[in-house]
Amino acid sequence: MALLEVTNLKVHFHTRNGVVKAVDGVSFNVEAGQTLGIVGESGSGKSVCCYSLLGLVPQPPGRIEAGTALFDGEDLLRCSRRRLRQLRGNEIAVIFQDPMTCLNPYLTIGEQLIEPLLYHRKTPRKEARQQAVALLDEVGIRQPERRFDSYPHELSGGMRQRVMIAMALIAEPRLIICDEPTTALDVTIQAQILKLIKDLQHKRQVAVIFISHDLAVVSEVADHVLVMQNGRVVEQGEVAELFSNPSEAYTRKLIASIPDGAKSAAPERRELQPHPLVSVSHLRTWFRDHSIGLFSPAAAKAQRHIKALDDVSLRIERHEILGVVGESGSGKSTLGRAILGLAPVTDGRIIYDGRDITNLSARAMKPLRRRMQMIFQDPYASLNPRMTIFETLAEPLLVHGLANRRTVAAQVLALMDDVGLVRTCIRKYPHEFSGGQRQRIAIGRAIATRPEFIVADEPVSALDVTIQAQILDLILDLVARHDLTMMFISHDLGVVRYIADRVLVLHRGQVVEEGDTGKVWAAPQAEYTRELLQAIPRLAHVQP
Amino acid sequence: MFKFTLSRLLQAVPVLLVVITVTFFLVRMAPGGPFSDEKAVPPEVLRALEAQYRLDLPLIQQYFSYLGDLARGDFGPSFRYPGRSVNELIEAGLPASAELGLYALLIAIVIGVLAGLIAAMRPNTAQDYIPMSTAMIGICLPSFLLGPLLVLVFGIWLEWLPVSGWGNIPGDKILPSITMGSTYAAYIARLSRGGMLEVLSQDYIRTARAKGLPERVVIVRHALRGGLIPVVAYLGPAFAGLLSGSFVVETIFQIPGLGRFFVQAAFNRDYTMIMGSVVFFALLIVVFNLISDLIAVWIDPRLRNPSRGGR
Amino acid sequence: MSTDAPHTGQLPDDAEQGTSLWADAWARLRKNRLALFGLGVIIFLCVVSLLTPWIAPYGYEQQNLALGATPPSWQHWFGTDIFGRDLLTRVMWGGRMSLMVGFVATGVALVIGVLWGTVAGYAGGRVDAVMMRLVDILYALPFMIFIILLMVVFGRNIILLFLAIGAVEWLTMARIVRGQVQSLRRQEFIEAAHSLGLSRWRIIRKHLIPNSLGPVIVYTTLTIPSVMLLEAFLSFLGLGVQPPESSWGLLINNGVETMEEYPWLLIFPGLALAITLFSLNFLGDGLRDALDPRSSKD
Repeated sequence: MALLEVTNLKVHFHTRNGVVKAVDGVSFNVEAGQTLGIVGESGSGKSVCCYSLLGLVPQPPGRIEAGTALFDGEDLLRCSRRRLRQLRGNEIAVIFQDPMTCLNPYLTIGEQLIEPLLYHRKTPRKEARQQAVALLDEVGIRQPERRFDSYPHELSGGMRQRVMIAMALIAEPRLIICDEPTTALDVTIQAQILKLIKDLQHKRQVAVIFISHDLAVVSEVADHVLVMQNGRVVEQGEVAELFSNPSEAYTRKLIASIPDGAKSAAPERRELQPHPLVSVSHLRTWFRDHSIGLFSPAAAKAQRHIKALDDVSLRIERHEILGVVGESGSGKSTLGRAILGLAPVTDGRIIYDGRDITNLSARAMKPLRRRMQMIFQDPYASLNPRMTIFETLAEPLLVHGLANRRTVAAQVLALMDDVGLVRTCIRKYPHEFSGGQRQRIAIGRAIATRPEFIVADEPVSALDVTIQAQILDLILDLVARHDLTMMFISHDLGVVRYIADRVLVLHRGQVVEEGDTGKVWAAPQAEYTRELLQAIPRLAHVQP
Repeated sequence: MFKFTLSRLLQAVPVLLVVITVTFFLVRMAPGGPFSDEKAVPPEVLRALEAQYRLDLPLIQQYFSYLGDLARGDFGPSFRYPGRSVNELIEAGLPASAELGLYALLIAIVIGVLAGLIAAMRPNTAQDYIPMSTAMIGICLPSFLLGPLLVLVFGIWLEWLPVSGWGNIPGDKILPSITMGSTYAAYIARLSRGGMLEVLSQDYIRTARAKGLPERVVIVRHALRGGLIPVVAYLGPAFAGLLSGSFVVETIFQIPGLGRFFVQAAFNRDYTMIMGSVVFFALLIVVFNLISDLIAVWIDPRLRNPSRGGR
Repeated sequence: MSTDAPHTGQLPDDAEQGTSLWADAWARLRKNRLALFGLGVIIFLCVVSLLTPWIAPYGYEQQNLALGATPPSWQHWFGTDIFGRDLLTRVMWGGRMSLMVGFVATGVALVIGVLWGTVAGYAGGRVDAVMMRLVDILYALPFMIFIILLMVVFGRNIILLFLAIGAVEWLTMARIVRGQVQSLRRQEFIEAAHSLGLSRWRIIRKHLIPNSLGPVIVYTTLTIPSVMLLEAFLSFLGLGVQPPESSWGLLINNGVETMEEYPWLLIFPGLALAITLFSLNFLGDGLRDALDPRSSKD
């Protein structure tokens, strides 16, 4: 008998706009000591499915309509709230996605860590503390005695996720549900956390349900995989079998969507001219650290600068795509914004098409704005929610005098065709579109003025993998058709490898490595680049 | 913590100075003086009075000598109550006002927080609507309306409670305290409901539930601190408001408190008393804002050491 | 340049009309019965106030000393006061004044607060620090005493009353607007507008103001009742509107004096004030829920 047997689980949400079948007849088993990976895009019901087992889905609007979930022979969906509470944190524990928001900021991590022991085991406080400190040590937190009394905000993201893992393990549960446990983390930290989860699982022989949108991550940790779409199970099977030989079209599409391999287009478009389009030399952007108290010593104040960019030099040739790679806090976004004059420059020079544009005034910059544009990361924040698509796309055309009121409609429609938007939705507002469509609108706005240079800041990071693939192809297509030069900023090495001709690796505001994408991948020079490349989860088991 | 307190107190000095200066010149600019009502005062007596209160000096000199007195904690002699200083008058009125304010605040916090909690536990159900509609009534019935209504119902029609006085008849403190506390209770109820709803939707509450903690522990241990932060921020200004709003209640229930002195002072153009009351209340506001900020820091560890701030 | 409304031109015939956030908010507000009720009451009161000189059943000063104070009857729905004046008429005239104070003083607060907040929030840096520091200082003033002082010292003057109340209420408005503008300024769509090379004025007009309007509307709706309350409070102290002008606060004050003998003189003006405050608060709450983007997601 399996540890957990879920049959025909149905969870519906009853909203004002009708019933949403979040989970619609899902069945699966989890064997003791094994890992089940659940893969799906946003809205596939993968999280709801697991939360409903523990009674963590808010009801209403949620309602469990049907199904059984036998945990060690006991039906989780039918047991009392009291019994369910006894199981939670004790027999079944959860590790959530975002360690920044999932720890209570008002309590020390020690206090939160020992709660399962205090309430389930009635362990005396002193003993609980000893166990907690030992466990903190085991999950790789240095100075566990001291950290026990720290508050969450005093720890880094990776550290907090280790605390979350310790919290899940402390009552020695038999099943752990990991919901996207590494999605909010940088890739090198992700590799460490994944390894930690695997090690602990083998050591303690717990069963794990590992939920993720990232196929590669799942393929690394899971024994058995479940693919979900729109609340239903599309396919399930052994990990090696499923990934090497997927039987369903959707699974194949998912696998194909992973940006894999080098850029297909040959880099021959690049014309090496004596003058690059953009050249940046010794760029520094330092921000004053505003978090300093009023009475901190003057000596400390002098050093309190956040060096977002520290002596960065680069060239972008015409018609190339330069990928800029870095983890959070590496300064990659600031670099893109500084080039476009949207972030301050402390020192250094930015030359655009032979002209010094460092700290140019808004007025002097305006004619250049037509030629350089930006695509932002979050398609939900980068569009004015109170303007229709028509207004959004018409604005740059009208402001730069590229259209008059008669011709603008035709131009906007052409633009919409260009980025693959349906013409009939021209009068709709951003909130009526999906993330991918919004990103198409944002791209349309960026290319409206027929610019020659575009900075794309993580344009696909907020999108699902299948949508991501479509948008990447759209970008490549537009770059080719409109002869664009692009700076493509991303934390995702797979995406950069797929799209960029040349790559620049940033680490703590400095350039660590620069070179042709193929060469950097084949033979990274810097230690940090090697570390980064090693940390990328790879789709194991796939036969090319 | 000490540094924080110190810097806040230092910041209060210019605030108080502005308050004092503006009030001082505003009062003096107004037509009519404290002795202008007394028509039959012979000129020499008036001059003597003015000399006694230093009104014959140039305005700017009066201002600085007043500041000098203030620095020594001396609010000066009252113009209208001969022989008594403003300090004495404040001391005489403070006990009743402070006691009334304290009771009202207690009522406001206990009822307000409880109602807010109950409503936040089951939003958009009867358990939410009933306390929140009641709170709305509390907000819409100002004390000058609620007080007389309570007197009318409980004092005159039902004859359950005394209608006025303070500390003379048993139970005479109940109606004024309720009158004054109810509006604040209503605001606190709304604030704590909002705060709790905000906190209860946070991820860390889901974490606490996922640990299998009893709901009571989730609410009290994990949610209450964060949920009450808006209430704490409100308490500083609220307490100052309780004191300054008290003249209505003190008038209705004939309580010998500060509020009535101050309104009287304004009507009488009792310069020093007006100044005294403004400075005194400004001081109260500063102090209570500081206290509520200190409580917020005590609750939220992220505020304790901003240079190590996480996010 | 007239590029503001580029709605003309040939759009596809089958273009679907989108629903703007405003239309969404209105749809949500329409489902909130209490807020609709509030809106109805406010509209009704405004109409009655405007028409009072023509529809009031009796003359405002029309006394009937022989009649004296009588409880509500068919002739006098709200009864009469000790001079035999019709209370309904007096409540109608009082409401006119109370509503006017509420709207005008809120308007004063709105104008000052929005300007101050937008400038501070958009300028940022040192300008912002100085401007908001000033607001903090004003917050520390014991305003109630201050207004009383103003009224006593300069005499009861209705213009001064508007200014004094407006001067108190704009502070919070300024803070709200500034917070809104500041958070908007960091949004990517404002950055996108900059990168498109839009002028500062166009960004403020087309991107900042429309997006910060929601909280401003909500706060305005909630300011009106608190202003009316303040006026009533001052009138109650005998410092606001003065006879022969009337307001609900003044009527309540008179009612309190005789509440043992003639309770209706307290109850009717009190009810009128309470119902108005109720309606405005419910409407404000409803607008807040309707305009809150978070509530649009379910």
